[in-house]
Amino acid sequence: MRIRHDEARCASLGSCEAVAPTLFAVGADGVLTLLDPSPDEGQRALVQEAVAACPTGALSLAD
Amino acid sequence: MTAAPSRLDRPYDPADLSSQSFWSGTAADREHVFAELRRHRPVSWHPPVESTLFDDPDDRGFWAVVRHADLVEVTKRHEDFLSGEGIVFDSMPKELLDAGQGFIALDPPRHTKIRRLLASAFTPRQVARINDRIVANARRVVDGIAEKGEADFVAEVAALVPLHNVCDMVGVPEEHRLTILHEAELVGGWRDAEVMHGQEPLPRLLQATVTMLGIAMELTAQRRADPQDDLLTALVQAEVDGERLTDAEIASFFNLLMIAGTDTTRQSTSHGMKALTDFPDQRDWLTGDLPARMPSAVEEVVRWATPIMTFRRTAAHDCELGGQQVTAGDKVVMFYASANWDTEVFSHPERLDLSRSPNPHVSFGGGGIHHCLGNQLARRQLAATFTELLTRLPDIGVVGEPTYSSGTFFHGVNAMTVRFTPEGR
Repeated sequence: MRIRHDEARCASLGSCEAVAPTLFAVGADGVLTLLDPSPDEGQRALVQEAVAACPTGALSLAD
Repeated sequence: MTAAPSRLDRPYDPADLSSQSFWSGTAADREHVFAELRRHRPVSWHPPVESTLFDDPDDRGFWAVVRHADLVEVTKRHEDFLSGEGIVFDSMPKELLDAGQGFIALDPPRHTKIRRLLASAFTPRQVARINDRIVANARRVVDGIAEKGEADFVAEVAALVPLHNVCDMVGVPEEHRLTILHEAELVGGWRDAEVMHGQEPLPRLLQATVTMLGIAMELTAQRRADPQDDLLTALVQAEVDGERLTDAEIASFFNLLMIAGTDTTRQSTSHGMKALTDFPDQRDWLTGDLPARMPSAVEEVVRWATPIMTFRRTAAHDCELGGQQVTAGDKVVMFYASANWDTEVFSHPERLDLSRSPNPHVSFGGGGIHHCLGNQLARRQLAATFTELLTRLPDIGVVGEPTYSSGTFFHGVNAMTVRFTPEGR
């Protein structure tokens, strides 16, 4: 499973981070970092929730 | 094939979205017009909005976007529909726009860089960290009315909670707060005689920008000399493309934070209090389990209030929108209350339903790069304020009719009396 992050769409709102703080972090510089761009299958539900939480549609699942 | 008519000879839609009387009427009256457009002519061309402030001879009119789906589409097509030409519906002199719009009227790449300077302070994680402060501000404000039994809810509650919270975050000391509140109010309220106290709008608005600039520059100088842990210091110390922000940019961003931070949640809080008075069944449902039900109630209050009624974009190039051929340079105006009342998305939008789920309202935006930076702050403030009110003043209710303000931008409430059994009696 791979998370895709569209930086052109991302507004650094941090909704993903609120859902899955182990996978996403908005730094002090306002840039979103994927802490684990390829999380293991067991986290699929969590990743899907984080993707759905993004108000700007900047996140998607590559596979 | 004939070319689509240009701005100069395009026929205007018969529905009125442009007159002063339309924007001085009630939200319910406006909804009748929006409902007809949503059903029959979802993207329609209208004459320029009537204005006593500023006459722009080049303004030929605007496209009205009234459906939820189309509003979301315009918001997300930020390369087709630009913000850098201005984001307010009304035509205004450039000096006013430059002073107040801040980074909301920027496009990428600069928008992205400026927004990131502030973004980390507004994430859910960070706002959760300052929740104690937000609750304390709500408590302090309710303390101010709790023993009185009657109050002007707008001035004494709804305006104050967001004022103190945003000023705490930005770093504005107490002595400037009420001045900022009154100056910021004019930006959306200049069409309203009550807000303006009979003063001429244009000179008064220009005076407001001078006052706000003075405060911004005073505080900026203080932060340069003595940095603090606040957003103004972050702006003062920021480098974008290797350069510091100019004083004019810092002042403009400061004004945006003050206007967006004070005037939006104020309206949502006021409309929310009125709705809780008008829908006692919903209020009973909410108070039946306040902590568990508050999150969905807050979403519905924000939909119900739709504190910002319009934002504008400008077409970057010729393109299609909702079956219409839009020409480069055309103004495109999104009508948020209409989208929040779209029956394709919301069943019985005219009913306050505090348990509504899902609730994909567009009050914080349609999901593009300009999505409301302060959405988490707004949600926490509304939750804190209504928790405090409904717990401590359980019979609080609006008496009489509020006075609503005229204008095309904020869905404003000027004054609204509430009564309640004083606390401790």
